[in-house]
Amino acid sequence: MPELSRTLPAEDKLVLLPKNPGVFFAFWQFSESRADSFRAQAFAPEIELRLSYSDDKAPASAHKAQWQAGRAYLPVPPRGGSCEAALYALRAGAWEKLLESNPASAPVTAGADSERACASMEFYKRVQP
Amino acid sequence: MASRGSLMFLLHAHLPYVNHPQDSAFLEENWFFEAVVETYVPLISVLERLAAEGIRPGVAVSISPTLGAMLENEALEAKLGRYVDSRLELIEKELERVKDDPLLLRTVQLYQELYQEAAGLLHKYSGDLITPLKSLQHAGQIEIITTAATHAVLPLLARPEAVRAQLAVAAEDYTDRFNCKPSGFWLPECAYEPRLNSYLKLSGFNYTFTESHAVESAGAQAPNGVYSPYRTPNGLGLFARDAASSREVWSAKFGYPGDPAYREFYRDLGYDGDYEYVRPYLGSDGIRRPLGLKYHRITAAGTDLSAKQYYDPDAALERVEAHAADFLERRMKQTDDFYAARGQRPLIVSCYDAELFGHWWFEGPAFLEAVIRRIRAERLPLQFVTPTEYLNSCQEPLELSPGMSSWGENGYFDPWVNETNDFIYPAVYAATDKMIETANRFRNQDLNGSSLRALNQAARETLLAQSSDWAFLLYIGSHADYAKGRLEDHAANALRLLGEVIEKKVDEPALAELERRNCLFPRLDFKVFSSVSRF
Repeated sequence: MPELSRTLPAEDKLVLLPKNPGVFFAFWQFSESRADSFRAQAFAPEIELRLSYSDDKAPASAHKAQWQAGRAYLPVPPRGGSCEAALYALRAGAWEKLLESNPASAPVTAGADSERACASMEFYKRVQP
Repeated sequence: MASRGSLMFLLHAHLPYVNHPQDSAFLEENWFFEAVVETYVPLISVLERLAAEGIRPGVAVSISPTLGAMLENEALEAKLGRYVDSRLELIEKELERVKDDPLLLRTVQLYQELYQEAAGLLHKYSGDLITPLKSLQHAGQIEIITTAATHAVLPLLARPEAVRAQLAVAAEDYTDRFNCKPSGFWLPECAYEPRLNSYLKLSGFNYTFTESHAVESAGAQAPNGVYSPYRTPNGLGLFARDAASSREVWSAKFGYPGDPAYREFYRDLGYDGDYEYVRPYLGSDGIRRPLGLKYHRITAAGTDLSAKQYYDPDAALERVEAHAADFLERRMKQTDDFYAARGQRPLIVSCYDAELFGHWWFEGPAFLEAVIRRIRAERLPLQFVTPTEYLNSCQEPLELSPGMSSWGENGYFDPWVNETNDFIYPAVYAATDKMIETANRFRNQDLNGSSLRALNQAARETLLAQSSDWAFLLYIGSHADYAKGRLEDHAANALRLLGEVIEKKVDEPALAELERRNCLFPRLDFKVFSSVSRF
């Protein structure tokens, strides 16, 4: 998996982005103090990313990840539309909300024709010498 | 003959900002030189030739702000001049080398005409190709629109301030370059999501374009499908790309560019020529790379590169005429079918990357010219229209709220968010979030010269980090190290400059060097990133 060559400022951050109908992309970072808490095992290493619907805040789905993973692809929940993510970590047997994301919107199903012509990929994809 | 339908051609011209003034020759700057010689000059020549003959092209052209900045960059213009001279020198040698092979000689002569045309047009306009485009627009021959400042995929910018900055900087850049306000906006990668229509309207744009499936999936809301414009609830005009005419031109597999008679892109003298012979024209590293002189034709789908046959310019031109006729025949059928079904005259919107015409599809500019000429010569009941003239003359468009879409692979945002490139987003967001936070902090303060310059340069670096090109290059595995390096450099530059302003320790020589290298958007004001209530 490719990675950045340089270290970024350690900040608490959770961002949710639309990828396609059916999939969100989420990435997260922690401040030094939060990362230290994970390293010291004050938090369990497995975090939970919980999606909720933006309009009524109803819980939609939950997904497990390792705290160091930093990114994950999440299925768009059944109602689709605008969703928000929250990152929870387990401390002393209780889930604690650490981060909240921006809202992001995606439908559940696609309307695109798989045979459609797309842009310059058509040409770039040809085998180069 | 009265028109039975309208055609709208939108050519989107964009290149990432590549400017390395510290290097006498830099590999990735060749993207710009190749595009100028193979696409921009031939297209400008076609448009000027048609206009001079009284045949109004009536096409829309999107010029990205990064490309506009490169077309006006004097250092790049000087390098471009040397690039053209160098190729003309090589072509002179080639004319001598192939003089006994009539077919090859004809192709080399064609390249000589191409490069001489580039040299002539650059000389005529003192190296500035914005001038003829501006004149064509001023004369009503074409309509020029803009796109996001650094071609960011806007649905992937979660912060409204970041979207606003991309739109506001693009609008200001366009106004400075073309002496009027932009009406239309090309969404980078045709990437749309519903929140963008209010951002675009608030930024002063009147219309934009979406992919066909964004409209088709709206069902009964869009009774005319892609054959008429729509408007969003807040009044933004929407044109939908027609899939059929796009596929015929875009698809390397099914489209015209895959014809056996057309020039093969990947066979090039830079790979085929004797090494010592071509060595002076390769980069300083001496690695074989394309020189733009390609002597073979596609021959047949799937043919091994080594088995390609020589290109025949006359045979290719015959195919151009046949394809232009076929393209128009299909559009006539589309208009007839739509009129029979709906009793209305349709609008067919065909959007393409400009660089397809000439760079990828060598015969593309000739195809465009042939299409436009045939409508006039054969008195076909079709007319080319520009977006603004169509919106000014059509009935009030129906209201529509399209869904998300792009013209990329699979129709959404997969090419720019996947396992090959998703690692870049923490860097993009680190710079963007810090830029917004710092802009809010300093927006009401009186700043001295170097702090103000550093904030404005940080805004440039942040915008450059947001460019769609880095993710795309990583995805296709082409110039991936360069793309990764550029993205990380821009994000790091922004973060460093913002830190220096906060600590009141601006490194003036380093700032001056960045201002020299990344010198686009000269009037950029960092406050464009600050949070405002209307967004």
